[in-house]
Amino acid sequence: MSPTFRTIRELGTDIRAGRLSPVALAEACMTGLDTLGRKLNAVVTITRERALEQARRAERELAAGRDRGPLHGIPYGAKDLLATSGGIPTSWGAAPFHDRCFDYDATVIRRLEEAGAVLVAKLAMVEFAGGMGYRQPNASFTGPGISPWAGDAWSGGSSSGSGSAVGAGLVPFAIGSETWGSILGPATYCSVTGLRPTYGRVSRHGAMALCWTLDKLGPLALTADDCGLVLDAIAGPDREDPTAATRAYRYHASPPADRPFRFAVVRGTVDTAEPAVRDGVRRALDDLRALGTVEEIALPDRPYESMARIILWTEAAAAAEQIVERGLIGELTAPEDRVTPYARDAILAKDYLRALRLRGVVAREIDGVLRHFDAIVGPARGTVGPRLGKEFRSALRGGAPDVLGAIGNAAGLPAVGVPCGFTDEGLPIGLQFMGRAWEENSVLAAARAWQARTDWHRRRP
Amino acid sequence: MTSEAEILFALIRSRYGSRLDAAQLEELRTVVDGLVRDVAVLRAAVIPDDAEPAQGFTPYRSDS
Repeated sequence: MSPTFRTIRELGTDIRAGRLSPVALAEACMTGLDTLGRKLNAVVTITRERALEQARRAERELAAGRDRGPLHGIPYGAKDLLATSGGIPTSWGAAPFHDRCFDYDATVIRRLEEAGAVLVAKLAMVEFAGGMGYRQPNASFTGPGISPWAGDAWSGGSSSGSGSAVGAGLVPFAIGSETWGSILGPATYCSVTGLRPTYGRVSRHGAMALCWTLDKLGPLALTADDCGLVLDAIAGPDREDPTAATRAYRYHASPPADRPFRFAVVRGTVDTAEPAVRDGVRRALDDLRALGTVEEIALPDRPYESMARIILWTEAAAAAEQIVERGLIGELTAPEDRVTPYARDAILAKDYLRALRLRGVVAREIDGVLRHFDAIVGPARGTVGPRLGKEFRSALRGGAPDVLGAIGNAAGLPAVGVPCGFTDEGLPIGLQFMGRAWEENSVLAAARAWQARTDWHRRRP
Repeated sequence: MTSEAEILFALIRSRYGSRLDAAQLEELRTVVDGLVRDVAVLRAAVIPDDAEPAQGFTPYRSDS
């Protein structure tokens, strides 16, 4: 039985019925990662020894009646910015660190192990999670990530391998990270579902720091339901990360409240997308009306993107200070990544604090809006997957609008990105549901309802 | 390029210029200019006087 393109729940059912062995499942995933995964530049390290050890343990435990829950025996890949022990390198996608090892596991890796999941690979990513300012797909020592949907299109970044490995059916789920766009972007370009949790929902301990107050870790999977299952395993307080929230999280897959959803669309966020995205999202919004109301709203006129950029680049400058000062950026893959970081010395402390002050204002304003809705909906990404070898427009460099991304990340709000169509050229388009802080279950409920009504997430490359 | 951007670019060139060639310096100038434009937009935004920075800090105790 092929394990590809099967959800966590489907695989779990077969494992518990004795129709599928966790060891065989892990082996099948690693074979696919080593062949197609390498062609997609999605893989850094296949963690064979650890995977087989975990899979055999899962097999033994389940046979003995010890069930750790829905992820028990389920393979996954981790973005290569999560520390892993046991001699498994953690490269951060950067050539200077291609063989660097840690002697501990990131909290997310440890929690997934406790849930019985099987780590089969460390997955490719844009060098330093895009924190050096790249502007074209070839910005990783493993090569440009390739979308499963087109051999000449980028998989998105910075969680490139997490998107393409799930999108190609090589793993049922993967862990990615988002500072601004790095989960929702690859989820869109690879036509999978990606969940950006609320800031602080998931411990960042053991994850590369790009921007301490914007970094979030979250899953990419085939469905919103699967993303909820993974979040349930990785969320929660952590003494190792003082920014991890103390509040507990439990995923509820129960049907949404017995009333229509209330969705909002922020004026201008659809119209400013690329024409193919704009048209696809407009069609999706029409379909969404079958699930509830869709109301256009206006937000206060504020410099959302400039605010988010100043926060991001200031903290990135500090987080990467030693890397920059030691000249290690001269060894990076993308030529622009060898230059851009120096520019950040131009940001003055008072301007950074001004951005943080504005962030507090924005966080309160957007919460005041969201309390009347289940989610704000809009493009998960305003652009379609760029072609390899071409420069792309990016909100991080000021070249493309992304108000929802700026607000959502600066205010630390959860969002789930789901497939919602394709361009005439066959490239995926995504829709996002963004909710109030700590309302992952609300946005996941909306996304599940969307996926119960549509089949975009079941299309295969 | 504004005078502020020119001054900041000169500062950065004085720190790192020896590591960069002419083309890279030109790229650097463009990026600095973009950052300064972002900052200008940010400075023009009206923020209430009592708005504090949204950045967490918790006093530390090893036993709590």
